Amino acid sequence: MTQPEATTRVSQPTAATPPTPRRSAPARRLAAGLAFDRIGAVYVWIGIALIFSVWVPDQFPTAATAKQVLNSNAITALAALSIIIPLATRVFDLAFAFTMTLSGVTAAHFVAVGSPLSVAVALGVLVGLGTGLINALVVVAMRIDSFIATLATGSLIQSLITMATGDTPIQDLKLAGPFSKIGQTEVGGVTLPVLYAVVVALGIWYLLEHTATGRRLYAAGFNPEAARLAGVRVDRLRFTSLIASGGLAGVTGVVLASMLQSGSPSAGTPYLLPAFAAAFLGATQLKHGRFNSWGTIIAVLLLGTGTTGLGLASAPQWAANMFVGVVLIAALAVTGVQRRATRRGGGRERLLARMRRRPED
Amino acid sequence: MSPDTLSGVRDALRLTGLSKTFPGTRALVDASLDIRPGEVHALVGQNGSGKSTLIKALAGYHAPDPGATAELDGKQFDLGHEVPEGLHFVHQDLGLVLELNTMDNLALRGGFAKGAAGRVLWREQQDRTHDVLRRFGVELDIHRPLGEATPVQRTVVAIAAALQGWHGGSGVLVLDEPTAVLPHEEVERLFAMVREVQAAGTSVLYVSHRLDEIFEIADRVTVLRGGRVVATMPVEEVDARGLASLMVGADVDPDYRAPVASRPRAPVVLEVRDVAGTRLRGVDLQVHEGEVLGIAGLAGSGMQELAYALAGRPPAAITGRIKMPRRSPRWLDMRDAGRLDIPLVPADRGREGVIAEFSVGENLSLAVLGRLGSRGRLGHRDEDELVERWSRRLEVVATGPEALISTLSGGNQQKVVVARCLAQEPELLVLSEPTAGVDIGTRVAIYDLVAGLAREGLTVVVSSSDLGDLLAMCSRIVVLHEGHVAAVLAADGLTEHALVRAMEGEERVDDAA
Repeated sequence: MTQPEATTRVSQPTAATPPTPRRSAPARRLAAGLAFDRIGAVYVWIGIALIFSVWVPDQFPTAATAKQVLNSNAITALAALSIIIPLATRVFDLAFAFTMTLSGVTAAHFVAVGSPLSVAVALGVLVGLGTGLINALVVVAMRIDSFIATLATGSLIQSLITMATGDTPIQDLKLAGPFSKIGQTEVGGVTLPVLYAVVVALGIWYLLEHTATGRRLYAAGFNPEAARLAGVRVDRLRFTSLIASGGLAGVTGVVLASMLQSGSPSAGTPYLLPAFAAAFLGATQLKHGRFNSWGTIIAVLLLGTGTTGLGLASAPQWAANMFVGVVLIAALAVTGVQRRATRRGGGRERLLARMRRRPED
Repeated sequence: MSPDTLSGVRDALRLTGLSKTFPGTRALVDASLDIRPGEVHALVGQNGSGKSTLIKALAGYHAPDPGATAELDGKQFDLGHEVPEGLHFVHQDLGLVLELNTMDNLALRGGFAKGAAGRVLWREQQDRTHDVLRRFGVELDIHRPLGEATPVQRTVVAIAAALQGWHGGSGVLVLDEPTAVLPHEEVERLFAMVREVQAAGTSVLYVSHRLDEIFEIADRVTVLRGGRVVATMPVEEVDARGLASLMVGADVDPDYRAPVASRPRAPVVLEVRDVAGTRLRGVDLQVHEGEVLGIAGLAGSGMQELAYALAGRPPAAITGRIKMPRRSPRWLDMRDAGRLDIPLVPADRGREGVIAEFSVGENLSLAVLGRLGSRGRLGHRDEDELVERWSRRLEVVATGPEALISTLSGGNQQKVVVARCLAQEPELLVLSEPTAGVDIGTRVAIYDLVAGLAREGLTVVVSSSDLGDLLAMCSRIVVLHEGHVAAVLAADGLTEHALVRAMEGEERVDDAA
């Protein structure tokens, strides 16, 4: 009797992990979809909402707070979404915040001088596309590293704005007219910019997930050399991605100017860091290291809820910035740890090897 | 338990009962290894045999399962947690920073010569660097970035860096596939260095896929298969075929030649004239339908440049004319060769072939995305179907199309890159170094695959620094020497010796019609 029992025990696989109970395919897919390493930020977001609900019970868990979070973060979301496309190909557009300012100032100027609304808006967006084109020329045609190149063009754009405005905001009664409707109209309790953000997020999601171009953008970002050899036109993708971010930044800038009812010569700059923070935090969500639109939206909501909650709890001024910093480092550290745990074998070495440029034969 | 231990000679390195379990797999099962003082001990095995895991355990990256013991020169050490001073490692990627110069690279490992207040004594550092390099007979400008050095110079600097502070005598130098990126003719220089280390009394653990090297340099060989040690023996007791069979677990012929017919009378599918570039100095070439044309040559002969140029992806500016008679009777400028859509399997799989962050499926479909779906929408169902079809056709071993490509063995990654090219349904395919870092089983599978494709009418151009590849696959071999065509040889009956002579430019032969 003991003999067969012993053999069965030996033949049992000695895997390190205990055998997982069998589940149906949809259940497994659901479990994988809800895994912490996929949507960790959503859990953190829920946690934060709960904490503030306990901390400031009469103010935080209200519909007004929810609306405030959405309305006050729509521009951050649009700003973050506008840099997603170049980031997917590993191109930084640091100039986007200055493009926002320039587009806002341009649109405000033309509204103030009495141009038709459509012309003013179109010119604002066109200016964004133009700066995008300049960025593309500097980065792709002149082959200057995008981080430095867009830092430089951003500086040039800001100098142009200061030169043109004399560093004073463009104020005019006409700006409170139809132009202000673009950013201030409410639909079902939320302002239009929230809907714009949703529409842009949808568009970028479709582009990155459901078109060949989207896949090629990621390929060009992860390994430009391999992508090029496989027939992907890496330079052309990078070129158009910068024009796209310029155009989106232009739209965002016009919407912002409409909300502010003025053409402020520094309106865009405060969005530089939050947008990159949201984009990078978003890349740790849903798609494992790929910049993506819904991850970015989750990141904006998480950071926005935290800062709004801290404001309601009348936390000191510095608390909001500290919160953003802590969340970012924690999120990137956690996903880094998980990446290292799931990878084994040559993954790390290959990553290191790729960071080192090798010369042509 | 070797006779030597019984007779009192202490092993330089002794590992026993080494196992390593990863979630889902056992990479090593009760492996043992003993390296005698002053011997060159080869470690061979296919991809996935546990070689890398063993090396990584030695290097302290992986902690083995409990029960393993390790001794270096008779002293026990905690495997996977500490690395004793007498163990020196040169990993496959060499661990160099190519942007920095030789002096800095050596100093990063061995430390800088520092004066008061942490100031680096550059003069002294320079002298030290020169000493180290002189010892190994390397001529190199130590102030130039290492990226400008040749692969063999880099390998030698990596070994020098690993051996800093070493004075000969006991200890073990571990070389993990040091020749993977070296042209064959430069391997001798590396061997000279290995012999020098050996002569100083230090043992060498030598990991390689290239069997000929093992017979040349090693004293004994240990074969791993499926995580187990299947044999340890002196190299005199085994031949290449026997060793290959031990690695694969079935009878394998390393001198295998794929059956490909020579087709001198078949129509011309690709023709180039006066191709010149960085290395090439005016090359004319005709490729016939259904042939497997080899491009041979030493490093610097332009062999790789020609392959990339044919596929329309030259590394730098190129001149010349190209024509695919079937497409158009007109000649195209070489710079527009990309329009002919000739797919290329690149030489450096990690850097130019796979996209490590992409799944198997995404890597496979990359070149044909435009054909999947309609009106700009990427058809995910079309894509799945394509991936399924080609993975099955090439027998890609993966947990599924969603698996990250980096979880696959080198050989399977290579199959995915080949599948990516074949999915374009080309008339002509260009392969550059198709078997670099691929184990012998997969190597033969690739040979067979290419032969099968040629029989179905696909024309293949192969450039390789591995003569075995060319002899096994090709029906005709074009030999380049200093940018010119030095010879065109029919592969039938061609010996490796004759091919090497032609590559060295010793004689001009034109015996293939």
